[in-house]
Amino acid sequence: MIDHLIVLLVVLPILGAAVPPLASLRYDRVGWAVATATALGHAALAGALAWTVWTDGVVRYAVGGFVAPYGIELVADGLTILLVALISAVSLGVLAYARHAGPHENSFYSQFLLLVAGLSGMTVTGDVFNLYVFLEITGLAAYGLVASGPGARSAVAALKYLIIGTIGASLYLLGVGYALAATGTLNMADLSDKLAAAGYDSTLVLTAFGLIVAGLLVKVALFPIHTWQPDAYADSPDSVSAFISALVSTVSAYALARVLFSVFTVDFLEAVPIARQALVAVACVSIVAGSALAVAQSDVQRMLAYSSVSQFGLVIAGFAIATPLAVVGATVHLVGHAVMKGGLFAATGIIERKTGATTVGGYAGIAGRAPAATGAFTLLALAMVGVPPAVGFMGKWYIVLGAVNAGSWPVVAVLLASTLLTLAYFARLAERLYFAKATIAPEAVAADGGERVSTAMIVTVVVAAVLAVGLAAAVPVIDQLIDMTVFELMLQ
Amino acid sequence: MSTGDADPAAGDDEGPGLYVESTIIMTTVRLVAPFILTFALFIMFHGADSPGGGFQGGVIAGSVVMMLAFAYGIDSTRQWLDVRVVSALASGGVFAFVGIGLGAMALGGQFLQYAEFEALFGHAIKYAIELVELGIGAIVAAVAIGLFFLLAAGFDGVAEGDSS
Repeated sequence: MIDHLIVLLVVLPILGAAVPPLASLRYDRVGWAVATATALGHAALAGALAWTVWTDGVVRYAVGGFVAPYGIELVADGLTILLVALISAVSLGVLAYARHAGPHENSFYSQFLLLVAGLSGMTVTGDVFNLYVFLEITGLAAYGLVASGPGARSAVAALKYLIIGTIGASLYLLGVGYALAATGTLNMADLSDKLAAAGYDSTLVLTAFGLIVAGLLVKVALFPIHTWQPDAYADSPDSVSAFISALVSTVSAYALARVLFSVFTVDFLEAVPIARQALVAVACVSIVAGSALAVAQSDVQRMLAYSSVSQFGLVIAGFAIATPLAVVGATVHLVGHAVMKGGLFAATGIIERKTGATTVGGYAGIAGRAPAATGAFTLLALAMVGVPPAVGFMGKWYIVLGAVNAGSWPVVAVLLASTLLTLAYFARLAERLYFAKATIAPEAVAADGGERVSTAMIVTVVVAAVLAVGLAAAVPVIDQLIDMTVFELMLQ
Repeated sequence: MSTGDADPAAGDDEGPGLYVESTIIMTTVRLVAPFILTFALFIMFHGADSPGGGFQGGVIAGSVVMMLAFAYGIDSTRQWLDVRVVSALASGGVFAFVGIGLGAMALGGQFLQYAEFEALFGHAIKYAIELVELGIGAIVAAVAIGLFFLLAAGFDGVAEGDSS
């Protein structure tokens, strides 16, 4: 049983996803219970796998008994278990939130579990084509979830996401094709040897790198290929916004790190400096443009969405610098951002239900009407800015240290400037929440009843806020996990 | 085939001009449908060792239902092919796939290690792969049919929530 943990992590959510369609023939609202039972099982498996990797080192699994490099290999190392634990924790948090917030349809929870399966698969796979398959499962489930909103706007957002996301996945697949043509293998560990043998200056290898990275960057949503992301986050139901903003781009960025360090390796980045410079440049442009666009938004959810464009620029910059310090920083920020952004989106949902406020103007003076949610929102916002001792600070600090050590001064300048811009849009909100005069009269909300908010929803947001601070203490653990990862990083 | 019994007049409540009863189309479809369904199964069974497989076969099987809908009207086809059948096909396909995978695991192999079944009966590798292909075919056919019925139902329900 213990050997099969890694494959069960993917199989269990798929099995769970097949139950609601059958169950809905008899029962109306059984989806939530099925999803929660499955997510609890997933969390138990994730915990057991994390323990196995932590004590015994890297776990490898040959699906169907076909040994690597011919069969599909699943691999769990330090970074994998971190991401798997994140997926489990966020799923449970979102389920607690969605119990009351909805959507309540059985089909929603089927798609939810398919998304969990896709994300888990992307995390544990050790095969670049298998990664594409799970990238598509993740994408298709996410398009469906975005479309589950009530209005036509969410359908349009989902269509946009579908078209751009499919282009991204196709670019990735094309890149995998080039890599296969150059080496004849799809296994990640095998590819890293054979790509080196094919020569890093070979046109096939360079094209494969460009296409794979471009495809994954579409999924991560860096500027200027982020255009699907604000609509998808802002026009979907709150539970979905919280879930996909916390996980989908995060796992795509993890996949990019996997491709950079486990497939192409740092030797490639050193042999082809232009590839690395281009990646750093795209990341820096994304940091600045994302922040600037976020400042310009009046809708709070869109502002949070553009903030993600900027924060993922930071993460990718950290990975592109590729020194151990910067990679630890990028990983801390990757996980920290997932918790913070998911919590922020969940908090906006509560604030909207309690006060009706959705815009920066509307947030004025409403702190007293939803104290827990606005308090958590402010705490999460400050953590995102990078106020110590929150996890946002730790991530940025390590990335900056890594950039200084590597002598990438432009990155250092952009990082510091972006923190100021982040402060500009989040401090503005916090100031309005607590010190401005209300623009929405309390009676206006009281008149139409103001939707009820469950305790579980508030607890979810508060737990996210606590984690945003508490995770800072986990940085040494993350440092150790990176050591246990099959990455080849640059020497300091 | 039991479809022949479906009353074409049941399609009355569809929008005007959507469905035209035609003896030629109905007769052709009635003749051709069994062959297409057989061809779909043929393709599914060929997934293991030659071009073909569950995805392609499933789409062809699903297209049979679409053809019936064009010949006999969408509503009467919807009544004939109950939603329970479609759901059972989709979920059952997943259960078949996962069941074979987990079964190999229970016998001491890896997930989907077909060779483990050889101990139980001969040529088990081939039979297990064919079963997996049939499962995939059932999922694909059910999803294609479900999507067709959903699209055919129109978007009236969606427009209401537009104000949010």
